Amino acid sequence: MVKLTRRGFFKQTTASAATIGVLAAAPNLAAVVENSAPDVPAAETELSAATLTEPMLAHVRDVATGEVSLMVGEREIIYRDPQLVMRLLRAMH
Amino acid sequence: MSSHREAPEISKDPVADNTDTYAFVSPDRPDTVTLISNYVPLEEPPGGPNFFEFGNDVLYEILIDNDGDGLADVTYQFRFQTQVGNPNTFLYNTGPITSISSANWNRKQFYSVTVVDANGNSTALGSGLACPPCNVGPRSTPDYENLAQQAVHSLSGGIKVFAGQRAEGFYVDLGSIFDLGALRPFQNLHLIPLPATQGVNGTQGLNVHTIAIQVPKTLLTSDGSNPTKESDSRSVIGVWARASRRKALIIEGNGQFDEAGPWVQVSRLAEPLINEVIIPMGKKDFWNSQYPVNDSQFVKYYAHPELAGLLPVLYPGVFPNLAAYTKPRADLEAILLTGIPSGIIPGFQNFTSKTPSDLLRLNIAIPPSANPNILGILGGDLAGFPNGRRVFDDTVTIEIRAIAGVTIPLVDPSFKPDGAAGLVDDFNPPQIPQGVHYQQEFPYLGVPIGGFQSQPHPVS
Repeated sequence: MVKLTRRGFFKQTTASAATIGVLAAAPNLAAVVENSAPDVPAAETELSAATLTEPMLAHVRDVATGEVSLMVGEREIIYRDPQLVMRLLRAMH
Repeated sequence: MSSHREAPEISKDPVADNTDTYAFVSPDRPDTVTLISNYVPLEEPPGGPNFFEFGNDVLYEILIDNDGDGLADVTYQFRFQTQVGNPNTFLYNTGPITSISSANWNRKQFYSVTVVDANGNSTALGSGLACPPCNVGPRSTPDYENLAQQAVHSLSGGIKVFAGQRAEGFYVDLGSIFDLGALRPFQNLHLIPLPATQGVNGTQGLNVHTIAIQVPKTLLTSDGSNPTKESDSRSVIGVWARASRRKALIIEGNGQFDEAGPWVQVSRLAEPLINEVIIPMGKKDFWNSQYPVNDSQFVKYYAHPELAGLLPVLYPGVFPNLAAYTKPRADLEAILLTGIPSGIIPGFQNFTSKTPSDLLRLNIAIPPSANPNILGILGGDLAGFPNGRRVFDDTVTIEIRAIAGVTIPLVDPSFKPDGAAGLVDDFNPPQIPQGVHYQQEFPYLGVPIGGFQSQPHPVS
């Protein structure tokens, strides 16, 4: 079950399962970007490993739709990648 | 409480919890407005060795709407950073702290101030600004008043700031009010009666953490003017304060934390006692997350406040006219959500727009009162609450009386308030309880109670 925290981290989650990852290493970031769905805004794909100087958090908001929230610094990017979410789910088992 | 433990979730997060917001024309610098937001409710002064401080992971803001749309046009942001001198001692201080730069003070806190305009453009106003320590006691902080004075910083443009511990200036008989709405001076009339007694100040001897900023009026108005006529729409500003946290927090398990994502509002406060007694339990956390511009969704709770329905039940036979009044409370909506338009109270208006929004509305053209009345406008003092809010205003009595019906005739002359509506209060007659103290100058809230000097609460 999704855990509720006072800071509303999971407040809008409708999924029956969620995965949180701290992707601090550049290769992991690259993997996420490579596998992102086409609905990633073009401007957001400009994020590169070289610009990542602090932890990046990935929050699967909705397993059913593959909606993922990526947070780095004070930015948040929402995109859909059902295949990535399915791989993350498989990794949990 | 004004907003000290007003919602279930924020009451578990004191450093981000707004307790009171104040806005008033500075009595000793009437060309300026003083804006104050308090956080960290109910600080017990001896609470060491990790004494109270602001959250380094919290964004604190005081926001001003000067065009009536419920959105911020001027925002002052405050960000804090703690510096530990010696991590190998458990001590807050290793000797007397005689200046705010003292090497004996082991856990200093500094902050930056940024102003953001309506278009989101930021300008740094100051950084590395020192907070004072908490008031520990006569050995550790032997001249606290002087220490705190060193933490009043002057910034460019005639702005002053202070951030640090202060004595709680808000007074209320907490223990009684939350015991089924009892007011001790009238509890002989309560549904569950007890002999009438004087009120007991539930915040006596407690401290808070204050962010105060004093700003020239010309930096707050929509066109940079300094309006002098109270009827001038430019003379009214709406003020609120809030606290935000980063959207994501990861607790690493080794004492380290990672945070990421945008700032998310977790607390807000303008008019006192709104989330406390107007907003129902199931909406309180949600209300804290909302912006004033979206407050139309809460109008129904103002129109038919639960407390107005409870008073006739809790005090049988005392409020018959209130009990019979079924119309929406247009008086409360005006006072608390839109401001009072011209023509209602002679010589006064603080109307912002028809957009319902929880703002502390201050008409800056009304000069400070030479003889302030703690009942503000109800007491004939146009410089007091709900024209903004001064640190000493008796907002509990004012709002209880308003909810009890004393302000209904402002919008519905056919209504005759019950006799009790103009008399109810938690301290009788209305007064600033003994021990509550203020300053005549910025930041106006009093020197905090020292840990050594405080006394444990009696048990009975």
